[in-house]
This record gives sequence, structure tokens and C-alpha cells, in this order.
Amino acid sequence: MTLQQFKELCAQIEREYTDKIASAADLNAVEELRVASLGRKGALTELLKNLKDFSIEEKKEAGPRGNALKAALTQALEEKTAALSAQALNEELNRVNLDLTLPARPAAQGRRHPLSIAQKRMTDILSKLGFTWAEGPWVEDEKHNFDMLNIPKHHPARDAQDTFFAETGSPLSLVLRTHTSNVQSRFMEKHKPPIRIMAPGRVFRNDSLDATHSPVFHQIEGLYVDKNVSMADLKRDLTAFMKGLLGDKTEIRFRPSFFPFTEPSAEVDVKCVFCGGKGCNICKGTGWIEMLGSGVVNPHVLKNCGIDPEVYSGYAFGMGVERLAMMMMDINDIRTFYENDLRILNQF
Amino acid sequence: MKILQSWLRDFIDIDLTPEELAQKFTQLGIEVASVEKKGADFEGVTVAQITHIEDHPNSDHLHLVDLDLGNGKSQRVVCGAPNVAVGQKVPLAHVGARLGKVVLTPAKIRGVVSEGMICSSDELGLTNTRARGILVLDENIPLGTDVRTLYGKADALFDLEITSNRPDLLSHLGVARELAVLLNKPIKMPTPQEFAGEGESLQVDIRAPQGCQRYTSRLIRGVKNAESPDFIKERLSAMGLNPKNALVDVTNYVMFELGQPLHAFDRNEIDGDTVVVRWAEKGEKFTLLDGRELTLDEQALMIGDEHKATALAGIMGGQNSGIKDDTTDIFIESAYFDAPVTNKTSKKYAVSSDSSQRFERGADIGMTELALKRATELFVAACGGTPSQIRDVYPQPYQNPVVSFTPAQINGILGADIEEAKLKDIFARLALHFDASGDHWTFQAPTHRRDLNHRWDLAEEAARFAGFDCIPAGESRAFVGFSENPKGADLLEIFSQKLAGLGFYECKNIDFLGEKELKDFGFAPKNAVKIKNAMAKGWDYLRPTLLPALLKNISFNQSRGNHDLALFEATRTFGLIKGFPAEAYTVAGVQCGQLVQTPFFKGKGEKPDFYFLKGVMQDLLGAFDGVSFVPSQEAPVYMHPKICMDILVHGKKTGVFGAVHPLTLKACDVKENEVWAFELSLKPLEKNFSAQQFKPAKAVAAFPPSLRDLSVLLDKSVPYAQIQNVLQSTPLPVTLHFDLIDLYEGEHLPAGKKSVTFTLAFSAPDRTLKDAETDAAFQALLESLRAKTGAELR
Repeated sequence: MTLQQFKELCAQIEREYTDKIASAADLNAVEELRVASLGRKGALTELLKNLKDFSIEEKKEAGPRGNALKAALTQALEEKTAALSAQALNEELNRVNLDLTLPARPAAQGRRHPLSIAQKRMTDILSKLGFTWAEGPWVEDEKHNFDMLNIPKHHPARDAQDTFFAETGSPLSLVLRTHTSNVQSRFMEKHKPPIRIMAPGRVFRNDSLDATHSPVFHQIEGLYVDKNVSMADLKRDLTAFMKGLLGDKTEIRFRPSFFPFTEPSAEVDVKCVFCGGKGCNICKGTGWIEMLGSGVVNPHVLKNCGIDPEVYSGYAFGMGVERLAMMMMDINDIRTFYENDLRILNQF
Repeated sequence: MKILQSWLRDFIDIDLTPEELAQKFTQLGIEVASVEKKGADFEGVTVAQITHIEDHPNSDHLHLVDLDLGNGKSQRVVCGAPNVAVGQKVPLAHVGARLGKVVLTPAKIRGVVSEGMICSSDELGLTNTRARGILVLDENIPLGTDVRTLYGKADALFDLEITSNRPDLLSHLGVARELAVLLNKPIKMPTPQEFAGEGESLQVDIRAPQGCQRYTSRLIRGVKNAESPDFIKERLSAMGLNPKNALVDVTNYVMFELGQPLHAFDRNEIDGDTVVVRWAEKGEKFTLLDGRELTLDEQALMIGDEHKATALAGIMGGQNSGIKDDTTDIFIESAYFDAPVTNKTSKKYAVSSDSSQRFERGADIGMTELALKRATELFVAACGGTPSQIRDVYPQPYQNPVVSFTPAQINGILGADIEEAKLKDIFARLALHFDASGDHWTFQAPTHRRDLNHRWDLAEEAARFAGFDCIPAGESRAFVGFSENPKGADLLEIFSQKLAGLGFYECKNIDFLGEKELKDFGFAPKNAVKIKNAMAKGWDYLRPTLLPALLKNISFNQSRGNHDLALFEATRTFGLIKGFPAEAYTVAGVQCGQLVQTPFFKGKGEKPDFYFLKGVMQDLLGAFDGVSFVPSQEAPVYMHPKICMDILVHGKKTGVFGAVHPLTLKACDVKENEVWAFELSLKPLEKNFSAQQFKPAKAVAAFPPSLRDLSVLLDKSVPYAQIQNVLQSTPLPVTLHFDLIDLYEGEHLPAGKKSVTFTLAFSAPDRTLKDAETDAAFQALLESLRAKTGAELR
């Protein structure tokens, strides 16, 4: 065989198999082509056997030509195999016919209680505002629940709290705490300013259970005591708190009120988040919703806790968790929270 | 406190609509519970009858309405009300009519001039319902009648919520005084007719000076009881009282007017010439006006004569000395009784009155004389009689403290910048004495404002009268500092999150339970916190366990069609330790039915069993060191005696889990005989817990382990824990990991035996083990099992 003949045959094989590989219909056809071209008795294999008869000069030209053709055919075969495999898989996947719209099969995922969710929202925001978490007992002595907070014995302000009294062996008269404010007296008694705490938790009032009252409910308290703390600090921080809770556009206003442990005292209203202040059923047409009570810590309270009111001042606020949750979760009966109906619980 | 706007006008000129006045109250911090408008606040509205209606040419909802005015004239007006109909008698406002503050002018409505308007109830100010539609009047009312005459004079009745620090607002004079400061208007103090006074009044002997700081009184001789004048009857009715007769009504009237409670005694029921103010004797019996008999102690303050008591001071009179129809001589008491003394007695004996509510909050010690004079004037006008001289026993005239402060301090408390001139103006209007001549200002409040004792009180007054909007949001401050959450709070959160992840739903229950539940759950009532004034039976104790409520939650949900339940609660429980209350963070859960709740998949749902619960407990507690579970030697009474494990923390029991006892389920109304439950106190976990701790990782094997199956035959009575313990404690030169893969009892085994199969994985950290090493370790384990459990290779 002359070199010229070798080259012609190479070209002929290249043409023939390139076309055949490209048009192979399935993997079997590709395998047949592989055997026919590159197999032990394949056309190219047979042709390359002639190399040994060429002179060294001729080999230099014929060798690379033959190897290049072998590599090209190998690659073409592999690519065709991959393409046909992918196509076959794709066809198989597309044969699947599952009704994806059938109901879900719930994973074992439980739920937190709506009040826990609401409380966590509040503690998360207050944490960002630098309040640290403090606690106090739920069965509390009258001193920390009332006396130190400037709610004297034999005063109507004390009667207004509808207190549960506990029967224990303690020499102190104990009550179920009527507010989270007992944490104020507990904490200030033990710590020196600066103080910046929040105190979420349960409180108890001797109120019968109806749509708007529960003998057990939740509050969250905030207290900040440092030098030169004023009502303006309170307004700034509550604005941030309410914006965090209800959105960036939230506006608040102060309304004078009375709490024995703050002076001055303010009720805090937020501009109704449902009507934007125009007046609706939820804000009873006023455009404002009462959210919480607050004020400058009464100097008597500071004094009772061993803090000099001439040096330090503070603010305090307290907010009902149920109230917020009812409003924001559209729940209109407080008993809903304590019935624990799965049909309610699984919505949150 | 009910306040009548017209009554306020006796003391202050106010030209405000009820809505505007309500706004002022809100600004002052006086909550308005309700406003009830009374009467007509309009002029120039007459009754007219609709004779003809046609469509407005330029509108699809307006009409042109012809009305008969009754004086032979008629009027055509434009009307858009949906309820207009021929034949109706309606209120027609003529041009020039006044509706509240609005004066009606002719109006061109879509090209047609309307000279007059048919009014709705809201437009007349009679209601505030926002309802559309005209007011339709009774057909029997004659045409041309002035509609105002149908509704009486305009007035408004406010129901104000007075906070307990402001007893001075429990009267019309008090509310007027507050408005006078806000509106900068003069207050018209009442100037009752002065009587020279004929003859002496009774002697007054205050033997309890701590209970009574002032006692002003006089006699009126020769009265004849009569009906009260109309204005007293009308105003008392508005206050919610039924007018009786002048001698009774006048004392109430003066109290609502001036805030001073008065009491009128029948002079002839008082023995001798001395009225005594004294403490009750222990065990003293006293019958109140309303017939109730009290047994008193020495803390109750009494009014009486030398022989008997005639009144529970400041709270209620006695049956023996009240005014009767034929009373001729009356003794009028206008006193100041101590606030805490009144509060204590009122609460102790559960006797409350309009009078006691004022004294216990703090009456105005400076008001007794004026109130007595005002009452005298009204008594004499209605019932005649001759007043005696006034006897005023007031040993130590009361003065409020003088507060010294700087305007900067006031603004400092508020974080505001109220001008000095404005502050001066407010304080001058509020004060009895006010001096702003120096750097330090001094302020002394009048006797009716005992709540103004220090500069913080004055800061509040400044802000109230300047408007709370004067307080800006302060400049930002940085808060630096960190402290950890209370451990209990963090643990509760961690457990709650995990349980929610494990498919449990969080519940919140009321913290009370009854004695029966306590006993059903094995708790001694003497170790539980009892509530003295429980609001309901069955709510007498603070709960020492969360399980009773959770089981009731199951029952509740079952009755609403939900049977696949996994519930938990995480909160505090309560007990007594040596008589002292102790609170513990506790987590409890219950589970029953299937794991999946969707009906479509229900058949495929898995039913949790004991081992599932054990898995939950392992997931829950696996991260804590020193936690182990052992079968309960003695299960709690509410648990299955054989399916219950103790949860130990470093060997100390802190809780249990297992199956609930069927009788407990029955007692809690649970319609299911298999309920899984757990409860544990977090206290022992708190000690070693820190949210700041990171858990160090253990290295994993780098070389593949050698695997062997081990199948042994042993006595059925050998518990798995014992086999496990042998495998764990046998000393080996290599690392062992094992998994239980089969447990078989039954056919083809010798009697009393069971077969247990493990997959054992042997490994070393630094190399792949040789067969010989693995074999040796396997043999060592087998030997150990043989020796300690009697196991034989199968």
C-alpha cells in the first residue's frame, strides 16, 4: 500500500463513520459502529496494521494521521453515547405521571403557641434595642409587687389590681404577681444603674374568664435607668419598638395617664395600623389604638430600691402580649389562647 | 364618674361641643368611657310633611321634594336620602337654621337651589351613628312644631374614668377646675347664701384624731321634708340615682357638685348634745342603713353619741339614725376622714358607697365648710328650717408641702423644651402659692391636689397642660453591655423549639387546678401553693404538674374531631418546700393517635409507641451531659406501672416518661387508651448549662471499620440495658461501635431464651485493623457476655 492509498483510505473511513455515528439511532447502533471502526477487526484497526510496512519517513506522516483519526472517532462515539443516554433518561423521567396536586403529607413539624410567637417577636426587637432579659418570681411578696412600686396598702390603686393571694408557710404575705413590674423592684434592688432590662412573663388577676379577660395573661416589661433618662428617651425607644413590631411607618402618641410606679405616666397609642389613622372598627373610629402604659420611674420607686433619684432617672413600660396578639392575629376572644384547639394552633 | 356638661357651666364658661370637650378630657388624661348626648342643639327646624317627590334632573340618586310646612306654605328642597317617601313627617331645617355650630344657607345642588334641608338624626346632633337616611317623625305631631321642643335642651352626659390619684375630679367643680386651668378661664366658685346661725350646734368630740382630721357640722331645726326641686331631681337622675326627698337628695347633690360627701342624721335619734368620733370596740355590733349587721374591730371608725354608734364613718349611716319623712331637726356632717382608714374598713366589711369611694381616694379637707353652707342653702330652700351656727373642729389645718425646683429640672424629666413663660403660666394657674422670682421656683398645691408633692408630679402637670406632644423623641443613645439570658428562660426556649421540630404543638393553660386533680396526680395538697381567694372551685391551687391540663387539652381536641395529637407546654410549676413557695421550669408533653393527621394519608400514618417517645426524649435531652433513662422502680400513680422510665441527670431523678395510666385518662375524659406522656423539671439542667458554650466535636474514623455480626442466646429476663452495658464496658484495644439489629423470642429457641443480634464495627484511629485483631476483640466481647449474662453464641 502506498502512502497515498493509506491517506485516501483514512479520508474514506473518516467520512463514512463520521456520518454514520452522527445518524446512529440508538446505543446499539453506536456500539456496532464502534466495533466496525475501532474493534479488533474494525476498518481503522485493519488499516493501521499497514503502518508497519511503511518506511520511517512515510511512518512520520502516516502514523499521526492514523492516530488523529482514531482519537476523532473515539470522541465522536463517546459524545454520541452521552447524547443518546441523556435522551433516554429524559424520556424515562417524562414518563412519570404523579398528581402533585394531592394534599400534602405533613412532616413531623409542630408549632409554637401564638402567644409564644408574639412574645418572641417582642423580646427579639427589645434585644436589638439593648434590653437584657430579667426574671422574677410569679408567687411574689407584697413588698416587691406593691409596696416598693409605690402602691401602698389601703390605697384604691392596690384594690384595682384584683389580686390573688397565696396561702403558704412563708411569714410574708404572698400574692400571684399582678404585673411583670415586680421584676423592676427585684432587679433594681440588686443592680446599680445603668440598667436596661426587659421582663416577659405571666401575670395573674382575679378577673373572671370572658372574651376580653383572663385570670392569667402575659405582659412584657421594659426598664431603663441611667443618668438623665427622660420621657423623650422613652418616646424614642418606644417608637423604635413599635416600628419593629408594626412596621416602619408606625407613629405613636403619648396620652397622660396614671400608674403609681411612674410619674409622669403616659398611655401610648399607635396610629391605627388597619386604617392608617382614618378611623375604623378596630380603633373605634379614633384612628389610634391603645398599646401600652409607660412613664418616668417614680422617684419613690428608685428610692425604695436604693437608687438615688437625684442622680439617676429612668423610664418603664409594660405591654400586654395577648392584646397585641389578638389585634395582629385577628383573634377576638382571649379564651382562644387558652383552649389550645389544634385547628387554631396549627395555623401559626 | 358621670359628668353633665350643663352642670359644668355652673362653674366655668365653656363653649365646646361634646366632641370637643371629650377631646380635651383625653388630652388631660381623663379617659372618656362614653358620651351620651341629650336634647337638641339646634334652632330653626320645624316639622313638615312630604307631599311630592320627583327625580333631580341632573342626578340619579338625588330627589326634589315638596313639603307642606303647616302654615299654608310649602317648600321645595333637594334630598339624597334613600328612605324619603311621600306622607312622611320630617324635620326641616330652614335657611338660617343652626345645627350645632353650622348655620344653614341656601345651597345649589347640581344646578338646583335648595332652600332648606331635611335632617337626619346625626345632622341634628341627636345621634352619632353615621347612618344615612332622614329622621322620620311620629305622624301625630302637628305640622310646624319646633322640633327642638320634642327633644329638650341640649346637654351631654360624660362617663369619665377617673384614676385613683385624682379624687378631686370626682365632682363637677373638680372637673370644671381642671378645664379652667387648661382653657385659661376663671372658675366661678359657688357662693351659697350665708345664714347668721341661730343657737349652737352639737358638741363634737374627736377621740380618734388619726381617723378624722376635720369635722364641720351644724343643725337645722324645724325642717319639713319635701320633694326636691326639679333641677336636683333631673341632675341626680342623670347621675344614675333615684331622687327620694330633699333631705336625702341634697347631700348627694352637693357631693356630685363639690366632691364633699355629707351625711344628714335625724337629730332626735342622737342622745345628748355631743357627737363622738371614735374607734369601734372589738366585737361591736352595728346595723347599717341597708340592714346588714357588722361585727367590728378597733380599726373601724365610728360616729355616734355617748351611748351608741350612728354611722360607719364616711362609709354608711346606721339604721338607727337615718332621715325619715317626719324628721324635723337634722344634724349635717361635713367631715374629712382619713383615706387609708376608710379604705381598710370599706374593704374589710365589703361596704362601699359613693361617699367611701371619695374618702378612700382622698377628699378635699378644705371643702368641708363650703359644702356645708351649700347644703344648708339647698336644705332651707326646699325644706325650710333654721340653721344653727357652724361648728368646725379642725385642730391642725392641712397644708401641702412646698416643692422647690428649677424649670430646667422639669424639662429634664420630660426631655422637652417648654418655655419658662409657659411653665410659669401653668404652675400659677394650678398653685395655691407659686413663686418664680428666683432661680429655684416654689410651688404649693391647694388642698384638693394632695398628689402634687414633688417635681416629677409638676413635670406631669406641665406636660399635661402644655400637651403631651411637647415631648419629642430623644436623640439616640448607645447601649453597650451584655448579659446572658436567665438560664431557665433559655432552656425553655431550646426545649420548646426542639419539641415543635419533633412534631409537638405548644399549649398554654391556666395555672390553676383543684384538690381532686392534685390527689389524682399523687400530689399532697399541703405541698401545693393554695390560693386564698380562688375565683372558682377546681382552681384552688397553683399546679405542680402540667400533665392534667395537657390531658384535658387532648379531651378538648378529641371532642372537636382531632384524635392525632402531640401537645406540649413549657412553663413554671409550683410547690412548697418547707412551707415556702418554689417555682421550677418544667416541660411536659402528651401524644396519642397517629403521627400524620391528614385523612388522605391516615392509613399510612405511623402510630407512636413507647420507643418513639423514647426517641423524642433522646433527641430532646441528647445534647445534655449526664442524662440517663432507667425503668421506674415505682412509677407515679398517673403512669402505667410497667411502662414508665425515670429521667436522671447525673443520677438524680428529674422527670418521667411513658404511658399514662388508663384510670388517669378516664379521670381526664380522654377517649383513648394509649397516651404517651413526659414531664421533667429543667432545674438540674440549669447548673451546667450555658448558652455561651460550644460543644466540641469528636473525631470521626478515618479508616474503614471491620464489621462482624454477633448473635447470642440468653435468658429472656436479661434486659437489653445489661447487654448494652457489657458491650460498652468490656475493655478492648480497639474502638467498638455496635447496633442492635434483631431481637427474637419464640419458636425454634430453647424455652425461656431469646436471641439477640448485633452488628459490631471495630476500628482504630490510625490504621485498618487486621483480621486477627478483630477476631480477638470479638472473642473478648463474647467471653464478657458469657461471664456476665450467661449468653451463648448462636
